[in-house]
Amino acid sequence: MKTYIEKFADDISFQMKNLPAEEIAKATHIIQSVYERDGRIYVFGNGGSLALATHWVSDFNKTVFSHNLDANIKRFQAIRLPSTESEITAWANDVGFDMIFAGPLKNYLQETDCLIAISSSGNSPNIIKAVELAKSHHVPVIGISGFDGGKLNELADAKIVIKTEKGAYAIVESVHGAILHLFTSYFQDYFDHIVKRDEKHKK
Amino acid sequence: MIITRAPLRISFVGGGTDIKEFYSRYPGRVISTTIDKFVYIVSNQNTFSGKYILKYFQTEIANHPSEFKHDRFKEALLHIGIDNGIEIASFADLPSKTGLGSSSSFSVALMKALYANQGKKISKEQAAQSACELEIDILKEPIGKQDQYASAYGGLNVITFNTDGTVDVEPIFMDFKFKSKFENHMMLFFTGMTRSAGSVLGEQKKKIDNNFETYKKMSDSVLEFKDKLLNEDIKGMAEMLHEGWQRKKTLASSITNSETDVLYEKAIKNGAWGGKILGAGGGGCLLFIAPPEKQQKIQEALDAEAKKVGLVDFKRIHFGLTSSGVDILFNS
Repeated sequence: MKTYIEKFADDISFQMKNLPAEEIAKATHIIQSVYERDGRIYVFGNGGSLALATHWVSDFNKTVFSHNLDANIKRFQAIRLPSTESEITAWANDVGFDMIFAGPLKNYLQETDCLIAISSSGNSPNIIKAVELAKSHHVPVIGISGFDGGKLNELADAKIVIKTEKGAYAIVESVHGAILHLFTSYFQDYFDHIVKRDEKHKK
Repeated sequence: MIITRAPLRISFVGGGTDIKEFYSRYPGRVISTTIDKFVYIVSNQNTFSGKYILKYFQTEIANHPSEFKHDRFKEALLHIGIDNGIEIASFADLPSKTGLGSSSSFSVALMKALYANQGKKISKEQAAQSACELEIDILKEPIGKQDQYASAYGGLNVITFNTDGTVDVEPIFMDFKFKSKFENHMMLFFTGMTRSAGSVLGEQKKKIDNNFETYKKMSDSVLEFKDKLLNEDIKGMAEMLHEGWQRKKTLASSITNSETDVLYEKAIKNGAWGGKILGAGGGGCLLFIAPPEKQQKIQEALDAEAKKVGLVDFKRIHFGLTSSGVDILFNS
């Protein structure tokens, strides 16, 4: 058993030590730009990736500011797509499963926004449909993928791919979770810094 | 109605190597960053009356864009072929001709807005290209391409002007800690003297052959500045600005004047590590890199000097660095 646990930990450590730092930096730059122009961040994925997206939204809309909930600063507007279960079933049932993200996205999408698309294979047709919609409006896309990155990695502006053999979902999704937490930590530290700086200026 | 905005920029090193007479022979390079000061364009279709209305520091009303006095608005409208009436207003956080690239920010925001008016969403690259086309090819202004690209893309970038005419924009990512430290070391002053880039660049262009080696050095120094930036060596960057400024002064007599020289020397004497004039020179803004504990002393010395020589509009501009480029803020 111990060997199995160690092997799993080694696989994840290897990926963590080889994170695509430049692409992650690019992604934080995209999120920072969206914040400056008061845009929204749409995040989505299938299955476990949708769970990651949901977790991340609550972090980004609240945890990022949790040390400064009373500070008078502009906040993030992160939205998980679709934002209701009813929309998933409505689009899947009435139009097709490949439209469950692109369909609702079309309701909201403005040029000031950005997308975070999470897909281990990078090839889920419903993910690609939404990414193509964003690209046609010049909306920047952060692609978080695994395996060989698939089509998502080709289309994305920030290409965060966790390169593994095909089907290594456990490794890929675990590292995706860590990267999403990295965004949260970074912006939490950033706002701690901003609030402290502004208080100092007031004095 | 459509509202667009494009940021102003601070250029650190390499300005001047973005003119065709140079980059067609050797790659030009500039390193610059956008700041939280913007030019805004508000445009609205005016199909009901079919009139063309401009609102800047003057108001113009016309039956056809060709009747307009404002060159940029006129040529942009004619070029894009807006033919059923439009009302456009421009706003800016800072006055024009300050050396912060505002006239190109204006073009970038305008092109983005006019294409959106035609139902066409353009990329950052297209916004930069179309602004260059408007200013350089159509209006024949003797200027370079750095400002259009800086403003369209946003953020801190190394911009390379290739000999084949293409342009590469390489973003430099800083974390917030260093960004904040860097901001705290910079001081920006509006001298109160304005100039148009064209007059200075015109003189520079004529002398390009004589100064070719200097331009090459300016272009190459961008890579050195980038290394210093990545190593978070603020003092080293300041020293490079100082050297760059000394070098640039040799390129055209109109780049500096005695008032700005005196102000510059005062700042250095009071503890600034280095600095430069922003834009093509002959007035505009002064940028200094100085340790935070010396800044009050520097500001007092410069304020006193400006008062002495009668620069009534001399003023410090507080600013922050930004990441976003030209944006459509509202489109309905």
